[in-house]
Amino acid sequence: MRNWLRGSISLAAIGGVVTVLFMTTAPIAAQPQAYRAPRLIGTDNPDLNGIWQALNTANWDIRPHAAGPSPFPDLLGAIGALPAGQGVIEGNEIPYQSWAQDKQRENFENRLTRPSDRPTNEVAGDSEAKCYMPGVPRATYMPFPFQIVQTPGQVFIAYEFASAARIIHMDSEPPSPAPSWMGWSIGRWEGDTLVVEVTDQVDKTWFDRAGNFHSDALRVTERYTPITPNHLRYEALIEDPNVFTRPWTITMPLYRRMEPDVQLLEFKCIEFAEMFMYEHLLEPSSE
Amino acid sequence: MNARVFKPATALLMGFLAQAPVAGQDTDAWAPGRTAWGDPDLQGVYTFSTQTPLERPEGLGNKETYTERELAELEAQAAERRATDEVAAAPGDLGASYNAYWTSNEKGQLVARTSLIVDPANGRLPPLTERTQEIHDERAAELASRQVGEPPFVYTRYATWLDHPAYTRCVARPMPRIGQAYNHGLQILQTPGYVVIYYESMHDTRFIPLDGRPHIDSSIRQWNGDSRGHWEGNTLVVDWRNFTDKQEFRGLGLPQGNMRFVERITKVGQNTIEYEVTVHDPMTWTQPWTFIAPWRADDPNYQTPVDLYEFGCHEGNYRMMENSLNGSRASREANTETE
Repeated sequence: MRNWLRGSISLAAIGGVVTVLFMTTAPIAAQPQAYRAPRLIGTDNPDLNGIWQALNTANWDIRPHAAGPSPFPDLLGAIGALPAGQGVIEGNEIPYQSWAQDKQRENFENRLTRPSDRPTNEVAGDSEAKCYMPGVPRATYMPFPFQIVQTPGQVFIAYEFASAARIIHMDSEPPSPAPSWMGWSIGRWEGDTLVVEVTDQVDKTWFDRAGNFHSDALRVTERYTPITPNHLRYEALIEDPNVFTRPWTITMPLYRRMEPDVQLLEFKCIEFAEMFMYEHLLEPSSE
Repeated sequence: MNARVFKPATALLMGFLAQAPVAGQDTDAWAPGRTAWGDPDLQGVYTFSTQTPLERPEGLGNKETYTERELAELEAQAAERRATDEVAAAPGDLGASYNAYWTSNEKGQLVARTSLIVDPANGRLPPLTERTQEIHDERAAELASRQVGEPPFVYTRYATWLDHPAYTRCVARPMPRIGQAYNHGLQILQTPGYVVIYYESMHDTRFIPLDGRPHIDSSIRQWNGDSRGHWEGNTLVVDWRNFTDKQEFRGLGLPQGNMRFVERITKVGQNTIEYEVTVHDPMTWTQPWTFIAPWRADDPNYQTPVDLYEFGCHEGNYRMMENSLNGSRASREANTETE
């Protein structure tokens, strides 16, 4: 009796594991597809065209985090303080290798390191402060809108932040010509989900202002699924064997910007970053 | 009509037209395809580079076009220049640092016209207004005051990054883009209600809404302005305004804040878009003027979206800024010592 009971518990446990595994490997398929998005005219694909934006605090920290002061409370008061957030990571934790955990803390402490020479500029600080292109997935949840351009044969995304952009090569897999800030994107449709594999990103972008980072071996698998006329479910599988002990996933809704006549405006932030980056190169004395 | 029958017939027609690009230049004989929602289809990868100058060379008077023989001679000269330059410059040969070895085959073809400007009839920019001539002269004098050395080794001193044009700071490219020696690819994408122009250089995207909405408020000024489009037959007509004064026309010290461009973008053949722009700015020029430039789809360097590289300009600009500011200071200090 006891053995039988134990056996059935184990079976139930195994069943539970199997179910969990199934759900992690096929989260979209496991969800009921109650909503069917309108098709892009001339195609069988859902129409993802529009201006979208995340509404969360992932750009400050993708992990769960309490509120905190700005880096310069003496200058800014409560302006620029860190808003709290429940995080966007499935399971809440980033599976860092142990050295990488230390590196993330170091990144955070040095996040506002100003370049004093080229080597420092290459390795130190949050690239957002320098107005460098944010990479993927960070571009998706910067506090700025982006616009998906989906034609019958192609997908292209333009981001308001730093006028970053990327072409998503659909239904073909051309090799990447060189590592880049926004990576090399290869897309396909899986049912109503746009799946994009992003590789060949440089190692200088972070996931957030908290210093969460990756290497140049980063591979991101993004999934964009319409769940209502005005929401996409965004999911990004993060794989980087140089930094993490296993793959992990972030997920969040993306919201359609619905203001009348809304459009992407310019945020060409280079001119806002120059004093930060180059002030030390000025002549010390005034002329 | 059965779609399956229709498609091969269309493909056959397109194939025929692709083989006859010269006949395709004739707007009466050629019409672009249509998107699934019925707009004229301009989509594709193009280059806007051309060797034809914006202004007609002095001395050509009212000569609007070259003869076939003259054109062949000019093309032969260009090919010769490329062949001469198409070897790596010797280390330290600063004069050759931006030669055709770098921009090899990048400058596009000549069109038969002697200038891109078609109006005024002399093919040249109209005179500047007094106000703008003053701004322009001040800018030119200021720049000259920072230059030392003799051609071809003129060196410009930069006390701050703001002494560099927006182009070198990687902030923006002058708009509209008229020729460019490198990274002059662009892609046109279309969705219901939009035409989108993506420029490889500076990864700038222009969204052109077609729904008749008003321009953004005039208080919002942008490096790349604000575009609104509509179709006139097969031509996309774009009203382009709301530029910031920080944007300078062709980088020449002509602030763009009052400029309004009317673009007329027409696909006139399988491989050619005719890009016509009329420039309106009574504060800058004494009369409106118009240029027509070719956007070509037959440049072997720009055939598909794969050919558009990420233009990480600012991301790679730190060393340039460091060297130019440190170099300027060293040059000034050396001069102070000798004086």
